[in-house]
Amino acid sequence: MDEIFEFLFKFRSFVFEQGDLAFGAPTSLRLGLGIAGVVAASAVATYTIARGRSTVADRGVMAGLRVALLGLLVFCLMQPTLVLSTVVPQQNFVGVLVDDSRSMGLENQDGSARADFVAQAFTPEESDLLARLQERFVLRFFRFSDVATRFDGLDELTFDGTHTNVARALDAARQELAGLPLSGLVVVSDGADTDDRPVTEALVPLQAAGVPVFTVGVGDEVIEPDVELGRVELPRAVLQGSTLMVDVVVTQNGIGQREIPLLVEDATRILAEETVTLGPDGEPVVVRIAFQLEREGSRRIDFRIPAQPGERVERNNRRTAWIDVRGEREKVLYFEGEPRYEVSFMRRAVEDDENLQLVLLQRTAESKFLRLSVDDSTELAFGFPTSREELYRYRGLVLGSVEASFFTFDQLQMIADFVSERGGGLLFLGGHAAFAEGGWAGTPVEEVMPVVLGDPVTVEGGYFQEVAVGPTPAGLAHPAVQLDADLTQLRARWDSLPPLTVVNPVHEVRPGATTLLTGTPVLGGRDQVVLSFQRYGRGKAIALTAQDTWIWQMVPALEDRSHESFWQQMLRWLIDGVPTSTRVSTDQERVEPGETVRVLGSVSDSTYIEVNDAAVMARVTSPTGVVTEMPAEWTVETDGEYTVDFRPDELGDWEVELFADRDGVRVGGDRTWIHAAPSDDEYFEAGRRTALLRRIADDTGGRFYTPEEVATLPEDITISGGGVTLVEEHDLWDMPALFFLILLLMGAEWGYRRLRGLV
Amino acid sequence: MRRLSHFGALAGLAVAALAFGGCSDGGEEVRADGPEEETRLRPDPRRPELRPAPIGASFLGQEAPPAVGRPSGRTIGPRMDPNETPGRWPFYWTRAVYSGAGRGWYGGRGGGSWATDYPKGDRQFLVVLKRLVGIHAYDWENAVRLDDPLIRRFPVLYAVEVGRMDLSEPEVEGLRSYLDAGGFLIVDDFWGSREWAQFEWNMARVFPDLPIVDLPLDHELFSAYYDIEEILQVPNINNGARGGPTYERDGYVPFVRGIFDEKGRLMVVVNWNTDLGDAWEWAESPYYPLVYSTYAYEMGTNMIVYAMSH
Repeated sequence: MDEIFEFLFKFRSFVFEQGDLAFGAPTSLRLGLGIAGVVAASAVATYTIARGRSTVADRGVMAGLRVALLGLLVFCLMQPTLVLSTVVPQQNFVGVLVDDSRSMGLENQDGSARADFVAQAFTPEESDLLARLQERFVLRFFRFSDVATRFDGLDELTFDGTHTNVARALDAARQELAGLPLSGLVVVSDGADTDDRPVTEALVPLQAAGVPVFTVGVGDEVIEPDVELGRVELPRAVLQGSTLMVDVVVTQNGIGQREIPLLVEDATRILAEETVTLGPDGEPVVVRIAFQLEREGSRRIDFRIPAQPGERVERNNRRTAWIDVRGEREKVLYFEGEPRYEVSFMRRAVEDDENLQLVLLQRTAESKFLRLSVDDSTELAFGFPTSREELYRYRGLVLGSVEASFFTFDQLQMIADFVSERGGGLLFLGGHAAFAEGGWAGTPVEEVMPVVLGDPVTVEGGYFQEVAVGPTPAGLAHPAVQLDADLTQLRARWDSLPPLTVVNPVHEVRPGATTLLTGTPVLGGRDQVVLSFQRYGRGKAIALTAQDTWIWQMVPALEDRSHESFWQQMLRWLIDGVPTSTRVSTDQERVEPGETVRVLGSVSDSTYIEVNDAAVMARVTSPTGVVTEMPAEWTVETDGEYTVDFRPDELGDWEVELFADRDGVRVGGDRTWIHAAPSDDEYFEAGRRTALLRRIADDTGGRFYTPEEVATLPEDITISGGGVTLVEEHDLWDMPALFFLILLLMGAEWGYRRLRGLV
Repeated sequence: MRRLSHFGALAGLAVAALAFGGCSDGGEEVRADGPEEETRLRPDPRRPELRPAPIGASFLGQEAPPAVGRPSGRTIGPRMDPNETPGRWPFYWTRAVYSGAGRGWYGGRGGGSWATDYPKGDRQFLVVLKRLVGIHAYDWENAVRLDDPLIRRFPVLYAVEVGRMDLSEPEVEGLRSYLDAGGFLIVDDFWGSREWAQFEWNMARVFPDLPIVDLPLDHELFSAYYDIEEILQVPNINNGARGGPTYERDGYVPFVRGIFDEKGRLMVVVNWNTDLGDAWEWAESPYYPLVYSTYAYEMGTNMIVYAMSH
């Protein structure tokens, strides 16, 4: 097609895209158009006057053809010219960036490797492409995976890079060649970028500098037959014994829509197994798989699909994630305003959970409290906490049937701040003195609630409904209300539970809140919101409007564990993600040995106000037990944020601890893990990403090529306008297309006359 | 020891409950009031609209419950007001109806030994309990058979005169599953070794492998609300009113015992050689020593608070 275009128009379409159209005739364009208009008018008049046997339509057609013909002649007389900026030979530089990552080692359908193109195109004295490039430009070669570095010979390419970061490579090459007359950058890659950040940021400076990027995409766009596990998202840390629900995306090409197993394994055993029914070619299917993590410590979790017959890439059948299973005992404060069974049954439900400490403060009479599961005699000795420091010791707070007027205004504000500032989890339970009936409307805490409070019920006897509780679609997908490990049985499990009762009419949630459980009144009526939640500030607030979940323990069969499961999951969810005053994280979960890791520390005081004057120390323990201590520095940009870099140099799990001291007093500490391990990222989504490469080229004024089309690359760079250029003018009046068009118009008029008998 | 802190309430109750009428203790005790007065004051269960408001409640400033649908007089062991749905109230003071040889009073109409002190003792206990503890409780008595599946809607159960208990197999099954599910049984008012043996035999049918053990005074039950430092022997109304003796039969020493499940949860509290129920029922009597009714209410309150928090 391109050849035909070039034959008709003398130049390839890309040349026209790069050039400007000008007219070389000595008269002005306006004068020419004026003459053309007069001639056209004369022609039309001629046809109008000399009617003969012709009809109006005949005269119109013939006049049109004649005017078009005359117009073409006028266009040619105007001497149309294509103005191009062409580079001065050997005065300009071109950067050639070669993808040196592992995915370049993948085989194509025809058995060749992606990297073979690099050898073909850039082997000195063998490659015509290289020779023509060198004829015009001074070449600078870069190899890149994560960053771009200069190289001089093809033997330096290893195709063993663990990442592909095109944006960073472009940026590095641009900086390296800054100050030189740069005609363009050539990127030879499969485009299988492993970086999450968009490439557009790196293109902006190139666009500003007028540097076009020419991309050469190698490899098959679709790898088949192949099945691939998509990205798996796990939290960095969970409490020991937590049940995780993970969505795994599975995509196949050329395998067929059959059933295959998906396994979840840790180092010693299979944690879960699920059967996946594959979707059509290229269409991902989402599989939800639930498993429990029992043993404390850093755990490697593998998600794996066995290799399928004939599969071309097997290394994308496995995803590995690490998770820090924490054995701490997390404290949740349950404040109940009256004696009621929820207390005893909830405590019983979680008593076997060694990671939950449910501290009870129960008002048994006016100004009389029962404290249970406290650490010592001073804890809550004066009732509900009156200071932030005291309240913020807890990661979760459960408010039972207690009226808002029990609290002082400061305490109410403190409860709201517990969620928004401290990032704690707050759970509201239904009861006679809860929600609107407890006078919570209009308090600072009302905003925290995920439900809309109506007018309190004032009728004698109050509001009362028995409701059959069931999960919403959002609930079916939420780990907090998964009562059954077999997810297909979830709804049946909920249906088997006895109804609960509600004494607070709650029918609406706030905008942005999510309802997980609803209650259908047994005797009919409006559905009740039973369980909903919303994010509020740093934390989350949950409303459980039923007043007697203990019925799920007392009434079902003895072997039914629904009540225990519900409360263990509920309280674990309540404190999930609740921050400590000092937190440590790393910018990556896994690195290759030798790559730099940035340790990020966030330090606050006991009231969760960030502090910038702490002495923060990072202690890194290598897999072989070598301990290194490094001070972390305040970043200045963000309050309470401290950083330090280190480079794991051996394979294995590296423990990173962070300690913060202030005025010689320990403010807090935290721990995380970084894993030095080989990466398989390059084998995921490893098909050639033409769209990305084409976009890079289009956005910068360059062009995308396949290996078959790359022959014109040197000429295209020449006219792209980058670097030191000369202006060249090329006549267009002699384009064969114009000649053929003139013949066509003349022939058309003659043919029309013959057809209509007007000759 | 805050035992006497509610002395005023108890004393007031003593006066108020005079108008409530007397009920018998299964025939083994003499009624304090004459039969005429009792007939005059006891509400007619067949005519609920004529029922007077509960005196104790009005005296204590509590609003009387609506006068609708009282338990049917024709049925021994009504669950509750037929118009009432279990769950409306967080707490129902529930009496266990069981099979046995004895004969209770049940508002003057008879009944098994389970009905001893019923319903006056229950009502009076509720009135004082609500006065002492901030609890939302159903104001009326509630009796449920041990083999009724709905027993599981009432996690605290009160059984008296268990020395005359003779459980049927369905009742054994019902009580076992109730306690295994998380129920809490309070046993009271049985005396001497013979009745103990009968009770023990029945409980052995329910839990063959679980022993009945003494609860030490440092058990949380004795400090759940009041600090109880001594286990008193609470006499029945007759013995208490005439100044002794406090024991009956060979039950000279009072015990508070318990049955724990495999995980250490206290499921059954056994008040043996003592009669808390009579002390609740006759707390208003000027002849009944305050020390016993005070102890009985403290012990009762502790058992309820303990059951609802542990």
